[in-house]
Amino acid sequence: MLDEALRLEDIYLSTSELSGTLFSRPRAVSYFENIRSSESNADYQLIAGANLSLKLGETICIGGPSGKGKSAILRMIAGLARPLKGHIYYFGEYIPAERLDALEIAKRKVGYVLQNAALISNLRVVDNIALPLRYHKMGTEDEIIKKVNMAMDLMRVRNFANMFPHEISVGMQKRVAIARSWAMDPKLLLMDEPTAGLDNYNRRNLLPLIDNMRTMFKTSIIIVTHDLMMAKELDCNLVFLHKKKLTEPHSFDYWLHSDSEISKDQFRDLQSNQ
Amino acid sequence: MQEKQLKNWQKMTLVGRLFHTLGIFILKRRFGQLIALFFRTVASLFDKSHNFKSDTRNIILQTFFTGVEIVIPLFIVATLFGTVVIIEVLSLMGKMGFSDIVGNLMVVVIIRELSPILTAFLIAGRSGSSLTTYIGGMVIDSEVDALATMGINPIRYLVMPSVIGGTIATIVMNIIFSASAIGAGFIVTKGIIFITGNAPNLQLTWDYLSTEIIKALTIPDFVLAIVKPCVFGIIITINACYQALNIKRDIRLVPKATSRSVITSFLYIVFADVVLSLYYFISYLNNLNTII
Repeated sequence: MLDEALRLEDIYLSTSELSGTLFSRPRAVSYFENIRSSESNADYQLIAGANLSLKLGETICIGGPSGKGKSAILRMIAGLARPLKGHIYYFGEYIPAERLDALEIAKRKVGYVLQNAALISNLRVVDNIALPLRYHKMGTEDEIIKKVNMAMDLMRVRNFANMFPHEISVGMQKRVAIARSWAMDPKLLLMDEPTAGLDNYNRRNLLPLIDNMRTMFKTSIIIVTHDLMMAKELDCNLVFLHKKKLTEPHSFDYWLHSDSEISKDQFRDLQSNQ
Repeated sequence: MQEKQLKNWQKMTLVGRLFHTLGIFILKRRFGQLIALFFRTVASLFDKSHNFKSDTRNIILQTFFTGVEIVIPLFIVATLFGTVVIIEVLSLMGKMGFSDIVGNLMVVVIIRELSPILTAFLIAGRSGSSLTTYIGGMVIDSEVDALATMGINPIRYLVMPSVIGGTIATIVMNIIFSASAIGAGFIVTKGIIFITGNAPNLQLTWDYLSTEIIKALTIPDFVLAIVKPCVFGIIITINACYQALNIKRDIRLVPKATSRSVITSFLYIVFADVVLSLYYFISYLNNLNTII
């Protein structure tokens, strides 16, 4: 299946995978611990039996109440947490659990915008955006500078290029983080709450940018958000995390008018407005 | 896939299962994970994706960070300890009439033991703790995760430069410690002798002290003066990075990790010092026949 960007098959994820980094412990220990804990039917499973498939150039929004593991799914797709069970296919390629690693996945051009921007705090904004480009030698210095300037213009952070991350606001940090991911030309972009902390003006400017990325660069995008109107404005499908599983993708209007439990929880305000 | 793995695990032969259990047992312990982190750091030197320029800059920054700012406290500590050792040794030896082994004692006390251990303690207290706080802060702000998702190996980008830079700085600081303990220590001793007015009783000249020390120095002393700080530097930096990377996204764990990093560094340093000192003991045992 060549037109496939990402496929999750029967994923189980535990809460214990989410603390700390994967770089402290040897990989073998957590691998065999995962096998052991997947045998025992533990209660600490955050996600049990989730399925998802995403086509190239498709955008999908993941919604649901907070604290149910939406960000955990993104962390797992980015390779920062290892699933207990299940298969993940990136662009049709299966990566076995013992090789599943953030570095291995980053090679496949998967970008990730973290919830708290996570800019490197001792580098200026411009160096933050240029860091991955310079590290991987993606082009000559002139090309990199051109690309960084373009990314900064798109997210309107050019005026703050020579500031440190702690000197700019949280919303601005978020924009810089999106610019940093954009500059790397990802084929699959994972965004964790991209509109949280952005004002209405910048939010409205972010949406055409996401739209441009999927039409011009054929980027597949997964957005975790509480801002459900975004799905309507981007005209993309919505998936909800419900009872430790991901529902079928449906359009915004379908959810708005459906009778399911999720619609009643999540769309109550919007339904009553009509 | 997982079912197949489980079957393989059950199909393992007795020897295979024994080695598997032993390996997991070692890797679950803190000491095993420290050694594993060291080997991963060495392996990260051969990573395919790397940038020589940024690595060099990080190593130089780390060397200066570990080395330069500690020079003054280290110099003062070295001078005072050198003074104490010179005065004690000279007064004791004069009393007992063994004045021909003054050089030997100076070499054993200062160059072999005091200098590497105290340098390592000072660097563990200052650079090891700050390294833990620095990387621990990055773990808490998920900057380490962000680096990994950008395809930059955090072990190569953060741990490897600190290990190499810290080791270089420890070696250089050890040499400075030995030199200033003997050189500046001699000057301060002279000053103290001058002030107390005991000059006629203590016949101490630079010629006498330096020739005695040079006579007592052997080739293993020079080798161990490099090997010991090298081992200690690796222990300090790997331990600091390990404690920092193990923080579980809780800000209160940072001070705990910092203090644990310093204390366990002290422990490992003394332990490694004992192991390295076995060399002298073995050579002494080998030469026992000729002595008798």
